[in-house]
Amino acid sequence: MLRRTLLLGLCRGPLGRGLGTHRGGSILGKVEGRGGYRGSWMAPSSSSVTFRTQDPAHDVKTVGRLGGGDRDGKMSEIKKKIQSILPGGDWNPLYDTSYLPPESSDVVIVGGGVLGLSVAYWLKKLEKPRGAIRVLVVERDHTYSRASTVLSVGGIRQQFSVPENVQLSLFSVDFLRNINEYLAVADDPPLDIQFNPSGYLLLASEKGAAIMENNVKEGAKVCLMSPEQLRNKFPWINTEGVALASYGMEHEGWFDPWCLLQGLRRKVQSMGVLFCRGEVTRFVSSSNLMKTASGEEVNLKRIHEVHVKIDQSLEYQPVECAIVINAAGAWSGQVAELAGIGKGPPGTLQGTKLPVELRKRYVYLWHCPQGPGLETPFVIDPSGTYFRREGLGHNYLGGCSPTEEEEPDPGNLEVDHDFFQDRVWPPLAQRVPAFETLKVRSAWAGYYDYNTFDQNGVVGPHPLVINMYFATGFSGHGLQQAPAVGRAVAEMVLEGHFQTINLSSFLFSRFYSGEKVQEHNII
Amino acid sequence: MLKIIIPTAMLMPMTWLSKPNMIWINSTIYSLLISLISLSYLNQLGDNSLNFSLLFFSDPLSAPLLVLTTWLLPLMLMASQSHLSKETLTRKKLYITMLTTLQLLLIMTFTATELIMFYILFEATLIPTLIIITRWGNQTERLNAGLYFLFYTLMGSLPLLVALLYIQNTTGTLNFLIIQYWAKPISTTWSNIFLWLACMMAFMVKMPLYGLHLWLPKAHVEAPIAGSMVLAAVLLKLGGYGMMRITILLNPTTNQMAYPFMMLSLWGMVMTSSVCLRQTDLKSLIAYSSVSHMALVIVAVLIQTPWSYMGATALMIAHGLTSSMLFCLANSNYERVHSRTMILARGLQTILPLMAAWWLLASLANLALPPTINLIGELFVVMASFSWSNMTIILMGTNIIITALYTLYMLITTQRGKHTHHIKNINPSFTRENALMTLHLLPLLLLSLNPKTVLGPIY
Repeated sequence: MLRRTLLLGLCRGPLGRGLGTHRGGSILGKVEGRGGYRGSWMAPSSSSVTFRTQDPAHDVKTVGRLGGGDRDGKMSEIKKKIQSILPGGDWNPLYDTSYLPPESSDVVIVGGGVLGLSVAYWLKKLEKPRGAIRVLVVERDHTYSRASTVLSVGGIRQQFSVPENVQLSLFSVDFLRNINEYLAVADDPPLDIQFNPSGYLLLASEKGAAIMENNVKEGAKVCLMSPEQLRNKFPWINTEGVALASYGMEHEGWFDPWCLLQGLRRKVQSMGVLFCRGEVTRFVSSSNLMKTASGEEVNLKRIHEVHVKIDQSLEYQPVECAIVINAAGAWSGQVAELAGIGKGPPGTLQGTKLPVELRKRYVYLWHCPQGPGLETPFVIDPSGTYFRREGLGHNYLGGCSPTEEEEPDPGNLEVDHDFFQDRVWPPLAQRVPAFETLKVRSAWAGYYDYNTFDQNGVVGPHPLVINMYFATGFSGHGLQQAPAVGRAVAEMVLEGHFQTINLSSFLFSRFYSGEKVQEHNII
Repeated sequence: MLKIIIPTAMLMPMTWLSKPNMIWINSTIYSLLISLISLSYLNQLGDNSLNFSLLFFSDPLSAPLLVLTTWLLPLMLMASQSHLSKETLTRKKLYITMLTTLQLLLIMTFTATELIMFYILFEATLIPTLIIITRWGNQTERLNAGLYFLFYTLMGSLPLLVALLYIQNTTGTLNFLIIQYWAKPISTTWSNIFLWLACMMAFMVKMPLYGLHLWLPKAHVEAPIAGSMVLAAVLLKLGGYGMMRITILLNPTTNQMAYPFMMLSLWGMVMTSSVCLRQTDLKSLIAYSSVSHMALVIVAVLIQTPWSYMGATALMIAHGLTSSMLFCLANSNYERVHSRTMILARGLQTILPLMAAWWLLASLANLALPPTINLIGELFVVMASFSWSNMTIILMGTNIIITALYTLYMLITTQRGKHTHHIKNINPSFTRENALMTLHLLPLLLLSLNPKTVLGPIY
């Protein structure tokens, strides 16, 4: 009875610091509820697939468990009161404000997806005196029902044409391989990220063959194969129309993004980052008219307050901050507009918007008993269609990026099954004859944080709103580069320059100067 | 004395009746005038005190503290202008009223003759301070901080009331001028030990003594700038002043009873200085350095030698000015970057060079550079404690080194190095801020030319 009381009392308390829990911030306890996410990384492969089609309105409640008899309840109430009054507790005599974010925080990260959490992790890891910086992650949907991270197919590759992309992926693979050293939390079970290192197979037609040859960059272990070699290695492929194939030998494959997300989340909480469920609705900033070295006048803005609106309520909390990190994924463009980025005459630096938009992409899961076996890499057809093996039961995931004209309406996440029939299945069936008979099991849609400028990420500070840093716009390859990008942004915030991987070509200023970082291998 | 008290009291109606664009100007200028009037009290008689009436007197110990208090009010008003600019008019006036009330109570506390009147005013100063911390502080933790501040001091000072009433009953008077000639040695019985404890604990908590210092970092960090300034500069000195007054009645029990508190202070000095080396929050660092400096004062008062009393008085004035100046500098940083973390606003020397000069001078004063009165205070205390016991020099020496270390750490982290990207557009230093720093620094430097003003009644 005593143990049950202890568990009840400790679980329900605003502190939540009880047996075996190592939460850093006290805010999370009440907002998250129990059992919401803790169990989910135990059985990743089955739950990850089913979770995505769950009703997004499902939410975890914040009411504590009222088990046991009334005596137990009273005991835990008393225990809770005593605990909160003792030194170290956050007793508020007036009213309960634990669902609100703190009134001030050094860094506010808008968006709690894998990029936001990665930045939070590296900020806490790289800060010199431990515990120096207070970080707040603002995420409006803690079930991640529309976040790009969890709806992603989860692939990671190094076959990029831009060398920085290759370096980012290489570090990320190293992070994923050693994830239990990076993200270890005392008393919690190790993560099983289910990394399938099956490699990527990019197929190129005659036109693309020359580009593909050029694109083999340093650091990526890639094997270029002719059609005969391809037929030898993968007999299920129909090599008609394929002139060259590049097969990644090492460090490529796919993993479970939900597991990475939850691993980052619990590690970041144990490091003391505060989470808050709300939406950023306003930035209060102050601006100064300053002169550059060449004498022209610029208006430099700094955001000093972030208004976080609580869900389903009109209440908002102004959070005083020194640095804002925009990691809002597909909605980064809207967040940037709140900060006044892009409000100016077009063609000037003030008028340059953040060109990140929502783009809807479909992913289909089908079952094909005669399909390619366990060795199947992540195959990308020259037509843009892709597929990969999912699990051990002859299931496959795949899809296709629509062309500009057939972009679906990103207003909702409804799946268009005709798209599969018209655009995905024919090239698939042509490439892999076994796929002529398949049965679509389920499908979902997710958003790309699509950078309409050059489909590569935006990293680093904005030149005019000087304390907003970006970590967004990766257009479909954000998940695989998240650990490295997080480190780069953290270095930029703490040191002022990139230290390990030089991402200066990914800065915001390229949108104004027009220098595209064109990636030739975008799915 | 009334020539200070009545003008200070009248500052309040003046604030409420001023035009909206004149409230700051009026209150600052008039409080500056009042402080100039109080300078006349520094002209003390040789070996006796200036007795203004039955209620008020000032002697060479309380006169510098009085001048410090009145000098601080215009500085507090200047420092608060920026963060109150967004409040409504009534709130601004209320804030100024709180500061003025606090000022009034402090003036009367430092010049009170009756110890009961001293006690009442000592307690009364808690109320405006509590209101300033909890209403105008920055974060939700300020409620907690206010609670800690209030209850630590109340718990300590309730026994003091009982002790004072007992002394009144046995001695017949609590008028300080009489008592200093009436004090007889008391024997070391259990009840006298408790009497000693009752008298001293209130001031120990206020100083604060190392074991009871938990309220100070909280209160300092959560308070707005004027609250931090007055807390660090004056309220802490109430403890030292009270201790110096009340130990006259408690001889020779002090010789035995002082041991545990000496140990706590000596050890606490080194501990809090070491904690400063690991602080990431700028205000918290300055708060812990206050604890460290005040521990020296406790050691000095408990030794009760002429040199230690001179050192304690000098140290109190010097620390008041230096600590207040450091808080103002930290606040000027905070108003620009909106964060108190040191590593987020680095390399300010290249962007605000004049402010860097003030940072340098304040840091040099904090680490007791000769010939400032900080050094005179520390040196006298170190010498006196060495003569009390040779072993204390080890701890004192360690403390001096660590003080220098953390002060330079603070200076170098905030001023030197490459500046962070997001502080490129901070506002340049306002004239108001530069004037504030000058007004802090000028008395400090001038006093090093004539330190006998602050060396107390023993000199």
